[in-house]
Amino acid sequence: MGTYVVRRMFSTVAVMAMVGIFVFLLLRLAPGDPAAMIAGKSATAEVIAGIRQQMGLNDPIPVQFIRWVRDILGGDFGTSIFAGRPVLELISQRLEPTLSLSILTMVLSATVGVCFGILAAWRAGGLVDRILTGFATLGFSVPVFVVGFFLIYFFAIKTHWLPVQGYQPIESGFWPWLMHLILPTITLSIPYLAFIARITRASMLEVLSEDYMRTAAAKGASSYSMLVHHALKNAGAPILTVIGLSFAGLVGGVVITETVFNIPGVGRLVVDAINNRDYPIIQGVLILVAGLYVLINLAVDLSYTLVDPRIRY
Amino acid sequence: MVMGSFLRAFDPVSTTDDTSQSHGLAIFDTLFALDSKFMVQPQMVQKWGISDDQKTYTFELRDGLGWHDGSAVTAADCVASIRRWAQVQSGGQLMMKRVKDISKKDDRTFTIALKEPLGLLPEILASAPPLFIMREKDANRPATEQVTTNIGSGPFKFNEALSKPGASITYDRNEKYVPRRDRADGFAGGKVVNVDRVIWENIADQQTAYAALQAGEIDFIQSPSVDLLPIIESNPDLRLQVLDKGGRILLLRMNCLQKPFDNVKSRQAILHLVDQEAFLQAAFGNPKYFRTITSLFGNDTPYSNDENTGWFKKGGDPETAKRLLKESGYAGEKIVILQPTDWAESSNATQLLAAELRKIGANVELAPSDWGGIVERRAKMGPVEDGGWSLFITDHSNYSTTQPHTNIDLAANGKEGWYGWPTSNEYESLRAKWLEAKTLEERKALAREMQKNYWDIVGMVYLGAYVQPSARRMSLTGLIGMPAYLPMWNMQKVSG
Repeated sequence: MGTYVVRRMFSTVAVMAMVGIFVFLLLRLAPGDPAAMIAGKSATAEVIAGIRQQMGLNDPIPVQFIRWVRDILGGDFGTSIFAGRPVLELISQRLEPTLSLSILTMVLSATVGVCFGILAAWRAGGLVDRILTGFATLGFSVPVFVVGFFLIYFFAIKTHWLPVQGYQPIESGFWPWLMHLILPTITLSIPYLAFIARITRASMLEVLSEDYMRTAAAKGASSYSMLVHHALKNAGAPILTVIGLSFAGLVGGVVITETVFNIPGVGRLVVDAINNRDYPIIQGVLILVAGLYVLINLAVDLSYTLVDPRIRY
Repeated sequence: MVMGSFLRAFDPVSTTDDTSQSHGLAIFDTLFALDSKFMVQPQMVQKWGISDDQKTYTFELRDGLGWHDGSAVTAADCVASIRRWAQVQSGGQLMMKRVKDISKKDDRTFTIALKEPLGLLPEILASAPPLFIMREKDANRPATEQVTTNIGSGPFKFNEALSKPGASITYDRNEKYVPRRDRADGFAGGKVVNVDRVIWENIADQQTAYAALQAGEIDFIQSPSVDLLPIIESNPDLRLQVLDKGGRILLLRMNCLQKPFDNVKSRQAILHLVDQEAFLQAAFGNPKYFRTITSLFGNDTPYSNDENTGWFKKGGDPETAKRLLKESGYAGEKIVILQPTDWAESSNATQLLAAELRKIGANVELAPSDWGGIVERRAKMGPVEDGGWSLFITDHSNYSTTQPHTNIDLAANGKEGWYGWPTSNEYESLRAKWLEAKTLEERKALAREMQKNYWDIVGMVYLGAYVQPSARRMSLTGLIGMPAYLPMWNMQKVSG
């Protein structure tokens, strides 16, 4: 397994390098000029040209690329064109909100989604199955911003139970942190929960029709033991894959929820950076998210060995 | 507080962005400032005088000026700041053409020596974007390189520990700031801070911002979207307030270097085509917040006039526009209109413009992109086939029309000027006289002459004027209403 992990770590570096090259070139080819964005709406072309020169944006693209690679290899992801602060510092400021939201969302989605999936498979074709399948379809169909505003209206504006927006770091206390994350977590969980429930149901249905399940029933195993110990364990690999990929997707893709609830996370950081053409931030975030994505995939692959002893690396 | 756009650039000198200027007003101070009647008042300056030959100005700083790092503000800081500001701001560039020397005399006194008299010097020093005074070591950096230390001598201190660029910016009251004794008046007077802390939140979604305002989580939205205005108006806890009563002017720039708008007749065609009310309706919806505009010098300014405004009539005149376009020799060349997809009002007006042009037989193509894409493309002078452009819509403040000597939108100096690059030597010779005019009456007369010429050459076309109401909770009072920028002193939060 050690060799496998090392090989995968090398592939992570290769993926990050490819993402880096791709993003760097794409940004230079895309329309837009950070110097013009800094200078403002009424700036003259002369002033913008001066800022471009100062920022080194007039250098040939290969020169800019070599400079950037050299800095990255030295652990320097650059400095934000607008904020004037190191990119890593800005990303680290935004990681906590995004990770908090992503982890809570995954915990809620996985717990409830897997339970719903098991229940639906257990009572396949029955009323419970129909209700849960209907909920899953609805969860997929309703956009997160609609759910978000609906929750804000009832739980923040009408009842004042929860805040409308914003984020409190965990160091300011567990409850303030949690209170600010309840509505965004529920909002973001619904589509993931629905997805996990559907995958769990499908996997469980496949396993429940296997011969060994009939054997377990003949042995007199309880419903709980059959579902959790026999069926779920065998249906676990695709569920783990979905949970892992969903988590990876969440870290880089929670921008709508972050926007609706004004959570200063990585998604908002990168969208603002794209609007401002803040190249160092875009490059830094995308490379790190790509690395994270690959690492989460690795963790998912390794976790297969926990649910299926036949898998060896 | 939620600002019209979130703070992107910290250095208010290297940008013309309005939010950066509001940031500057919070943490920096200025030598002079405009009061609510746009008259120049001393701010950091205690007293100032001019030599008998009108060529040397002497300025003395007032007592008690100190930087947020604890050191004292000196004349050397002012000299370096003026030089840096003059590198990029049009008023400063204009001034430097006449400046022989700027030097400090002692720690509190400096002089500006001129090659020839410049009566408007105090106005230039007070004009927008403001001349913010920075520490000498910051101001010694090129103006094209951003200063992000955020250490000023203004009434607020930047709280770096609590600020998260792009997410929230925190300002604390500068306890050591010594306000002038006068009453707060526009950007001038005593900058008395009545709150301990101000936080700017970057709430990108307007609906969320409104919900937060309603729930009392925030106190102020500088530019609520048009669709939210009726809802805000009906909420008894909230109030809409127009802070910039002069408002802004939506305007159309035409590429005067390329076909078809290199021909004055085609530009005149646009002038006749535009039905301002229709454009304003498309862009802003509610007539309560917009009005038409015919004077180059804005609505209700000292220089507003009706010279050469015969082209204006309610409803536009497509027939005349069609005739003029034909007379210009237009042969179906492609007209590319830049459409900002992230600026709803301008985008709507752009689509209407395209429809109106098609009606008179023009071959129009929209080029949608975010504003970032437009600011890059608008700099291209070449033909549309080489990535150039024909038309784009932008805006400027109504107040800025009173400063034709510094407002680059109002220049007609060809390639040296602003995007669109109209050229008129006659107009430029009139504009140059603005600095020489000694009285208001002389400037008023000059404004009429300039306007007569400008609406003949049609360097740009006005689409209408609008005001942007801000939304605040009733508990937030004392906001100062001035064009474009938001001063935060004087405001207070009362219970309830």
